[in-house]
Amino acid sequence: MLAWHMVVIAQERFPRPEFETDYTYPEYQLPAARHAAWEYIDTGVLILVLSVTTWLALKKRSRQGLVWISLFSLGYFGFFREGCICSVGSVQNVALALFNDGYSIPLTALLFFIIPLVYALFAGRVFCAGACPLGAIQELTGIWPKKLPRAVEATLATIPFIYLALAVLFSATQSQFIICRYDPFVGIFRLNAPYTMIIFGALLLLAGIFINRPYCRFLCPYGVLLNITSRFASRHLSITPAECINCRLCENACPYNAILPSDLEIKNEEPAVVRRKFITYLVLIPVFVVAGAVALYILSPGLSGANYDVKLAREIRLEMKEGIPAASNAAIAFKGSGRTDEQLFTAETEIIERYRKGGPWAGLFLGLSIGIGLFSLAIRTERTEYRPHKGKCYSCGRCFKYCPVKPKTEST
Amino acid sequence: MKPDEKDIRLLKFISQVAAGFTLVVALTMLFSLIQLKTIDPLDNPIVASVKEQYDRDPSNALLAEQVRAVDLMARKAYFSSRWQVETGSYLLLAGAVVFIICQRLIAGSKKIAHSRPGMQPDVPGQNKLAMNTLMFAGVVIFTAAIVSSFVLRSALPDTLSEKRLAAGEERESRASRRAVQSAPFVADPTNYPFFRGQDGRGIAGGEGYPTEWDGPAGINIKWKTEIPKYGKSSPVIWGDKIFVTGAEGKECEIYCIDKHTGDIIWTALVHDLPGEPDEIPEMDHDAGMAVSTVATNGSEVCAVFANGNLVCTDTDGRIKWSKNIGNPENIYGYASSLIIYENTLIVQFDSNEKISLMGFDAKSGELKWETPRQGYPSWSSPVIGTFDGQPQVLVNSNPNVTGFNPVTGAQLWAVEAMYGDVAPSCAVNSTMVYAVTDYAKLVAIQPGQPATVIWEDNMFTPDVSSPVANDDFLFLVTGYGDIACYNAQSGDTIWTRYLNEPFYASPIIADNLIYILDRSGVMHIVRAAEEFQLVAKSPIGERADCTPAFSDKEIYIRANTNLYCISESE
Repeated sequence: MLAWHMVVIAQERFPRPEFETDYTYPEYQLPAARHAAWEYIDTGVLILVLSVTTWLALKKRSRQGLVWISLFSLGYFGFFREGCICSVGSVQNVALALFNDGYSIPLTALLFFIIPLVYALFAGRVFCAGACPLGAIQELTGIWPKKLPRAVEATLATIPFIYLALAVLFSATQSQFIICRYDPFVGIFRLNAPYTMIIFGALLLLAGIFINRPYCRFLCPYGVLLNITSRFASRHLSITPAECINCRLCENACPYNAILPSDLEIKNEEPAVVRRKFITYLVLIPVFVVAGAVALYILSPGLSGANYDVKLAREIRLEMKEGIPAASNAAIAFKGSGRTDEQLFTAETEIIERYRKGGPWAGLFLGLSIGIGLFSLAIRTERTEYRPHKGKCYSCGRCFKYCPVKPKTEST
Repeated sequence: MKPDEKDIRLLKFISQVAAGFTLVVALTMLFSLIQLKTIDPLDNPIVASVKEQYDRDPSNALLAEQVRAVDLMARKAYFSSRWQVETGSYLLLAGAVVFIICQRLIAGSKKIAHSRPGMQPDVPGQNKLAMNTLMFAGVVIFTAAIVSSFVLRSALPDTLSEKRLAAGEERESRASRRAVQSAPFVADPTNYPFFRGQDGRGIAGGEGYPTEWDGPAGINIKWKTEIPKYGKSSPVIWGDKIFVTGAEGKECEIYCIDKHTGDIIWTALVHDLPGEPDEIPEMDHDAGMAVSTVATNGSEVCAVFANGNLVCTDTDGRIKWSKNIGNPENIYGYASSLIIYENTLIVQFDSNEKISLMGFDAKSGELKWETPRQGYPSWSSPVIGTFDGQPQVLVNSNPNVTGFNPVTGAQLWAVEAMYGDVAPSCAVNSTMVYAVTDYAKLVAIQPGQPATVIWEDNMFTPDVSSPVANDDFLFLVTGYGDIACYNAQSGDTIWTRYLNEPFYASPIIADNLIYILDRSGVMHIVRAAEEFQLVAKSPIGERADCTPAFSDKEIYIRANTNLYCISESE
């Protein structure tokens, strides 16, 4: 419903009335730029929130505390800072800076990209638990969690990898910042966005009432990086505060399927079968890598349509070849710009070439992710306790209350 | 504190109210949004109708007031709807927040069922399912990528095909260029129509030119004729006639001289043309008004002087047309020679005010085209070359070396390569254009779109004389007395010599020999070959800066005072 409001605000104003009196029109008022100090304040708040979240998740083990810190982040990074700057979108700034000499990444964007990853390396995904406004709004609206079948979960979990690969490719080729453009919640934070995005955000929240954190699980590209990084976390939230007694009470506690069960009582596969799978999926990794690189190389010219120059060139070419009038605002602006068709088509060719160069790398990343994902499932691990999956766990603390084990104290 | 049952009932009630409220607000907003979509105050039919009435009766003050009132009403209606939507969005947000808080409290009040699940999870089975699903997802993703590549690229240019096509075209182009360019340039043995001969290339036709003579002793000097007026223009030849120019003060003349006897057949006086400047333009004291060399095509004899007087006579000295093309005043004085392509007389106009290239109808004098050039005045002359079947007028100037279409004057290509004072003209062979000037550099350019600099060097740079090239070698002489031979294709320096005398006259290749006239009037004759071999040194007996002309086994040298005909037959 908020969409309607956004539509109105985004609309073009119509011409002013023609007064015949001596009426003086008011001067245009442009909002003043934010003071530079806010950038440091934002970074400071991020570090503070991440530190508090780490303490709440790992030490205090307070689900309530995590909800409150989420609420604060939603208020500060979401509604007050209007969803910008955000670590999720900073991926694009980094990609743009890495592949374009002419772009100098703002320090805040770089810090917002790095700091959550550093925390993930030491404490798991505490950013998702307490600092991310996108995670917070979903966490707060996730009221009646239902688990998804593992097959569906595994399939949908590939989407963030695709999203990340495309976001990096589009940023590196100076085409689009798709993460920001298709951020489903920023419109709600700002009460201003294309109504389609508001509807998308509202639908995600509605779905999230039952399927918690749908954006985090099945879309978030930054989550992919956090997932990978937090697998190497030196410390991580634990379900039990002491030794796991394998009571299985927490088995279904996690709505995200992020609890790895103990296999003490589970009949594992025969070692020979595991060995065969291990070798098979190890060999499959390069196959997926090559397949991904080839597929994205072939797809890259098509993907280049995301670039505005390529899109415009396509429109102009249609007009030239098939007589379909190029009537978009971009085409009208182009015709009045003095830029020649030849220059546009040259730029188009250069961009497509950049896509051809970048596409295989994006495909390689995708193939490698799927290959390693398969391989990791084929590895036989032995667990004597129920513990969170370091990559998937959002450190939300929902599982705390399911564990009957009390923390050890000195007196016991 | 956990809510008890009573609180839960209250929370449920509040959440239901909140849900109902949110729904009502949503519906109201929906209605307002539809209104906003349909209401456009500018296209309001009532406003339009009243305006129409007012247009028919503009003097009606009541109608004018009515227009204002209706217009204001329409705008108010629009902004009211906007306000409703804006306010509604806050109410919607508030209702949704209340609903969520209530529901969270209700959900949080439920006790955790600490019941041990029944069956052990089938971890291997779940893993197998996840692997199969992931494998399936991977295959679907890559297949979808390949399939969609065909859908998405339909409106895009096929760059790979274009590349292959371009590569093929390039290969064909290179092959055809070699085929076209392999046809050697053959200069006419009799006619030597422009500065540096046919097309201004510096290559003389014919063979058997004398190599040894002695001006003071009269050896191999067929005749010697004093040119009445001073000039630096070089002789040109058509048939049996030699044409040179001279000037004293404002009086400029064209002389036609009998090639066999040295007699002056006729003199054409060129002065007092409309638009001619009253004063002699500023110039180097050594230059004079008659620096530019005549151009002839056998029916017209055209000359230009340093005051901008341009004239064409017939071969009998009758002026066909004349005009002043503007005062080409520059620091050293106007020096560019004329050249004719088919029926177009090409004038390189370089003044402090304007630099351009002009094409005149040689018969009528009508200006056919004029192409402005960018940069600074230069003192070089246009040269004609042909590349890929396209004749081009080549101009060396600061900063651009440029190719022009001689028929239309259109610029074909330009390479920014020169700086400073540019006096040497371009050298041309079948593949490249060579440009040079002192204190700058020598560049070899492959013409095209874009033209490409193939190699460059800055060891030997003439200040006045122009380089000359065939397909194998490039030769140049400098104002310091150097002579250098380069590999025309690679730019490697093959040999160099210091000849002790400075050169202003441009070297000419004739019968595979290079004729190089130094300022003291001594002709150095060197083989146009991979190894330096001095064939002869022959003095004319007076100082000379003009470039010699070659025709029918005879050489014509304009020295400071006299024109010499050198012939071994004598």
